[in-house]
Amino acid sequence: MTLRVLPACLLAAALCSALAVVYSSHVVRELYSKQQSVEYQQWALQEDYSRLLLEHSTLASPHRIISIAQDDLAMQPPQLSVHRLVQFQGGQQR
Amino acid sequence: MNRSRVGVSKPALWRLVFVAFCLFVLSGLLISRLVVLQVIDRDRGVGFLQQQGALRSVRTAEIPAYRGLVTDRRGQPLAVSTPVVSIWANPQQLRDSADVVQLATTMGQTPEALAERINLYSDKQFMYLARHQTPDQARAILDLGVPGVRGEREYRRFYPAGEVVSQLVGLTNVDGEGIAGVELAYNEWLRGQTGKKRYLKDLHGDAIRNIGVIEQARSGKSLALSIDLRLQYLQHRVLQRAMVETGAAAGAAVTLDARTGEILAMTNHPVFNPNSREGFDYAATRNRVVTDVFEPGSTMKPLTLVAALESGEYTIESLIDTSPGRVRVGRKVLPDPRNYGEISVSRVIEKSSQVGVTKMAQQMGHEPILEVFQRFGLGGEPSSIGFPGERSGVLPNRQRWSDIEKVTLAFGYGLTATPLQLAHAYAVFANEGSQVPLTLLKRNEGESLPIRQVISPEIAGQVLEVLNRVTGSEGTAQKARVDGFRVGGKTGTVHKVGDAGYLDDKYVALFVGVAPIENPRFVTAVVVDQPKGDNYGGGAAAAPIYSAITDGVLRLHNALPAESHEARQLVGLGGGA
Repeated sequence: MTLRVLPACLLAAALCSALAVVYSSHVVRELYSKQQSVEYQQWALQEDYSRLLLEHSTLASPHRIISIAQDDLAMQPPQLSVHRLVQFQGGQQR
Repeated sequence: MNRSRVGVSKPALWRLVFVAFCLFVLSGLLISRLVVLQVIDRDRGVGFLQQQGALRSVRTAEIPAYRGLVTDRRGQPLAVSTPVVSIWANPQQLRDSADVVQLATTMGQTPEALAERINLYSDKQFMYLARHQTPDQARAILDLGVPGVRGEREYRRFYPAGEVVSQLVGLTNVDGEGIAGVELAYNEWLRGQTGKKRYLKDLHGDAIRNIGVIEQARSGKSLALSIDLRLQYLQHRVLQRAMVETGAAAGAAVTLDARTGEILAMTNHPVFNPNSREGFDYAATRNRVVTDVFEPGSTMKPLTLVAALESGEYTIESLIDTSPGRVRVGRKVLPDPRNYGEISVSRVIEKSSQVGVTKMAQQMGHEPILEVFQRFGLGGEPSSIGFPGERSGVLPNRQRWSDIEKVTLAFGYGLTATPLQLAHAYAVFANEGSQVPLTLLKRNEGESLPIRQVISPEIAGQVLEVLNRVTGSEGTAQKARVDGFRVGGKTGTVHKVGDAGYLDDKYVALFVGVAPIENPRFVTAVVVDQPKGDNYGGGAAAAPIYSAITDGVLRLHNALPAESHEARQLVGLGGGA
């Protein structure tokens, strides 16, 4: 009896293990492609981020602000005579 | 049939058995050898085989690490790493390829030039075709699908503020390692840890499967400097304009917050563009504020005044007779521009009278003056902000002092200092007689600072008052005035040193100032190297730069105008009425 059951069990176990290998390598491949796409996404986001950072700092550069303020908007620093001192409630001093 | 079978099989049976036996033994040998190689013998068998296999197909690649951001104190980026792609190729595969023409046109080169370059690497397996391409450019090249051409991700450093902070922030090389300035000084902090990953490649070298990450790439940390970009830009603009107006060869300016020791702005002329290496001038990368030493000249007179006040023999109103407008020391005659007659110590500094200072120095001797210079951090110790190439000036250290040497020390000859040291020395006056260590990094709010009391607050206050008078109607630095504010400072005009001693026609113009006097906080030192024309003096060449810079500093920090201080006191606004 055991002589007939044992090989059958072993065969079944081997089959199961073989299928498990197939399944796990499938999972690995799937996860890997996911990781690749996430990594790619990270790279693309970083690309965007540094581009935006540079764009932002170009737009906000003092050079640009000054030229817009002075040339386009004809702004100038306020004269001392038009300064008004405002007191905080509770007498806090700046 | 039956007979023949028996007839054949009789003698054939042993042969069949023999052959079968041989085959069995052979296959047994093969199997046992296989078992030995694959299982038993680890060193020469399975290990060796695996190693050989890996050598042919497994490769390790670097994962580039993101280099940390350098920002100013308000978070404005000064140095940013952006992802780029470097295109490389295997020249062996490219050599006879018909795609070279197409590749060259996409990269914007002539096919001949590219072919020539490929030829140059004809015995190599690797060559860069184009480094640091923007992702879009790289995509265009890689989409051609030329065999043997591959892209590699890297980071490139970009400096949004360009030449405005160029010497301070410094540079990285093409591999992303800091080679100058803050990039070098804080390289370990900024750079990340490059990661490693393993992958399988096919015959052509293309990656077919990633095996795994051996080491994760770690990003570098970001660094917030004490610099205020708005102020830095303002200082830069003022300095560059002044350089054109005075025709000077070089210039430097630095602004400190005396309370915290933070360096708020630091600019130099000439400048360079850190974003382009074309026409790169190595000399322009020098951060003169910390690397160049010179004789501070008359800007040392307030320190001599400190020695005089500490000696107890003088107050700022003590009278000194400077007539007849010149004094003989040894063989040398030191003149004043004119005979000032009997004037107060304060007026001596205001007028920058050589005769007056000489008489004070002769009275005191050189030791107390030298000791005060030392206490203010000149000579010996560097200001130690850890900047690459930072230097420290020297104080004279000699056994025998001639009479003239004892006197010239009092007005700033015979010793050297950097602009930063000079500003740091004046920070004592702005901080009630104490000095805080300098830093290039933003300090945290409420950080406890190691404060060193250098002189008494009373003396600091008196010197500050005298410095304010220097910008007054009788002083040498009327051009340093700032509209609406009370400021103080001291001019200096020093002969440059050439091969044969002091040069008659080459000067360094200096100004160091403190603002605002009521609530002193900001110290600015300005150095103009070799201003041309008649306006070569500290009062004419350097003081206007100080004025323009300080005007901006006070405005950006919402300082209270002097008139408001008076108005407050008159109306009783001050202190929570």
